[in-house]
Amino acid sequence: MQAENSGRELAAGDRFYSHNKLRTGVVGDLLGEGGQGSVYKSEFGGGTYALKWYHPYYVEIDGTLMERLRRAIARGAPDDRFLWPLELVEHPARTDSFGYVMGLRPDEFRSIRELLAPPPNRIELSLEKRLFVCQQIADSFLSLHAKGFCYQDINFGNFFVHPTSGRVLICDNDNVNVDGSEASVYGTRKFMAPEIVRRETTPNGRTDLYSMAVLFFYILIGWHPLDGKKEAEANLLTEQLEHELYGTAPLFLFDENDTSNGPVSPMHDMLVCRWRSMPEKLRSLFQRAFGIGLNNPNKRVIEKEWLKTIDGFQRATFACSDCRYEHIYDHAENRSTGECVYCSTALAPPPMLLIGTKYIALGEAAVVTLADFGHANAPRWESMAIVVEHPQKPGVFGLKNTTQEPWRVRPPGGQETMVSPGKTVLLADGLRIEAGANQATVVAPDAISSLKAGSGNEARCD
Amino acid sequence: MTDSGTPPMPTMPTAVVSRRQLQLVLLLDCSGSMAGEKIASLNYAIRSALSELRAAAEENPEIDVRLSALKFSTGAEWHIDTPTPIDDLQWVDLAAGGETAMGQALDMTVDFFNSGKFSGRQLPPIVLLVTDGYATDDFDTSFENFMQHEAAKCAMRIAIAIGDSADEDALRIFVDTEKTGIAPLCARSAPDLVKHIKWATTAPVKATSSPTNAPSSVEGLAQDTNRLLADDSEIVW
Repeated sequence: MQAENSGRELAAGDRFYSHNKLRTGVVGDLLGEGGQGSVYKSEFGGGTYALKWYHPYYVEIDGTLMERLRRAIARGAPDDRFLWPLELVEHPARTDSFGYVMGLRPDEFRSIRELLAPPPNRIELSLEKRLFVCQQIADSFLSLHAKGFCYQDINFGNFFVHPTSGRVLICDNDNVNVDGSEASVYGTRKFMAPEIVRRETTPNGRTDLYSMAVLFFYILIGWHPLDGKKEAEANLLTEQLEHELYGTAPLFLFDENDTSNGPVSPMHDMLVCRWRSMPEKLRSLFQRAFGIGLNNPNKRVIEKEWLKTIDGFQRATFACSDCRYEHIYDHAENRSTGECVYCSTALAPPPMLLIGTKYIALGEAAVVTLADFGHANAPRWESMAIVVEHPQKPGVFGLKNTTQEPWRVRPPGGQETMVSPGKTVLLADGLRIEAGANQATVVAPDAISSLKAGSGNEARCD
Repeated sequence: MTDSGTPPMPTMPTAVVSRRQLQLVLLLDCSGSMAGEKIASLNYAIRSALSELRAAAEENPEIDVRLSALKFSTGAEWHIDTPTPIDDLQWVDLAAGGETAMGQALDMTVDFFNSGKFSGRQLPPIVLLVTDGYATDDFDTSFENFMQHEAAKCAMRIAIAIGDSADEDALRIFVDTEKTGIAPLCARSAPDLVKHIKWATTAPVKATSSPTNAPSSVEGLAQDTNRLLADDSEIVW
């Protein structure tokens, strides 16, 4: 029997060259293949990169491919999350096609669609980390759109996530185009904006915003925002019905005014829980994105709005003490008096650190970093403080100063005290902390407030 | 605190419970003319397609891909009668001998669509017909009846002819080339057959989550079939 066709177009060891012939590369292992071409690990100009090589037929049908890539390479990556095209390359024996090199995705990064995979393949990311994923994507698309580009085809296939840190990488950037120019792709099923499904337009910056909101809904709720009663009741999802659900008659699962596509019990019960565990501010963004934003592209939620909202509570997640279901603390909704959306146990959120308008949950062993204080370029892991338990008094928690400088702290109605590096201050409601130019306040709604009652001037513990 | 020892318990079990099924039904010719090298190649092609199909299914965790297979010779008979997740599939080799009851295969597919095996939340199924000859029963009547069923109507129908003696007209009718633009694929060599079976089983699965530059998923697949035909190797069986 003949060796089967593996889809491999270039052989390992093949040499390829940059267009200006100044740099040489060597093809290595096949990493993946798709409709447009194949990706190989490769050595190029002294480093290890990924080489994407197009199928000749794709080069033929995508008339603007070369031009798009040239422009992307000339403008450079919007930020370092994009595995951006770096250089166009050619192969002496394959003159009917070409390729480009880009950064190599480290092996440990996994496809974002594995957030939805059935166990055991599912990436289990905490709610905090899933919010972090959305934050990074919004931040990167802000940079991309600010450069005048549009992505055209946001879908699960383009995003990779680190399974523990939640760091995001964005791949397949060869559809990126100048916003407003002729599109090379319609998009991917279920991610296409309704006006594209209806074939009224081709991808642009506004349709990117729709696709991004769909992606966020998948990441946070684990479901498609338009899959409600209508989809649930359809046994056979025909192409015609799909056209209706995502194109001609789209309706949000949690539409404020029209519940005709609302959740169905028990099928959607978990989605309702997840939705109710989100703060009002976030729910209202989704309601706009999939309410008026469905049919009015100019009313869609822009990246800055996602960022502003998510920044406020990305670090404010906490789990139900009984069933561990995760919630987001929302000061405005007074969550401290609420019940767990999953098991109805009374919620007891941990103390929070309020920095500006941002809440940070101070659960056991929580680390507060310089990045939490809004220092954009600070490494996220650079610790400022860590929550520790009192060595002699179990159940009493404090915030340990892990910086090199003393803090100045003042409990409400009490006197200012210094907390030296390595020392710990009791988490008491209303405690003001000044660490150099950084300021924060402890918000400890109930449990801790009883500790505070007799603590007055002894707001410190080691 | 979310990153402490205890994993967050019931966070995201949503998409798993109610995934839609994408059913792949293979209708495979095991008539006497398939005996020898052809049936060996078909078995080999399916085995080698399965690993790619498994990967394609894994890459689409939001759908539940299932496969069943029906063989037809003097009569038709289920080879894999329970729609099986690709991970659990063990391919048992087919043997050839007898007539070509292609019509009966379609009748049994209709029974399958009406049974509990094709119930619940379904995507349009994929029906792949592989044959090397002409039906020896009443294919036309069976096909007419088949197309009355909603699942058959919206199904992605794909056909592969093995060698040059297959009833190409019947296959063109089966895939409705005129309307869909999908051409029956013709495998004239063992590598062709591997390539076509791989494409026919994995491309429609991949299409559920791949970017498209075609106005509809059918058109995308039609472009593919034309490309596959264009690449056809000339090695004759």
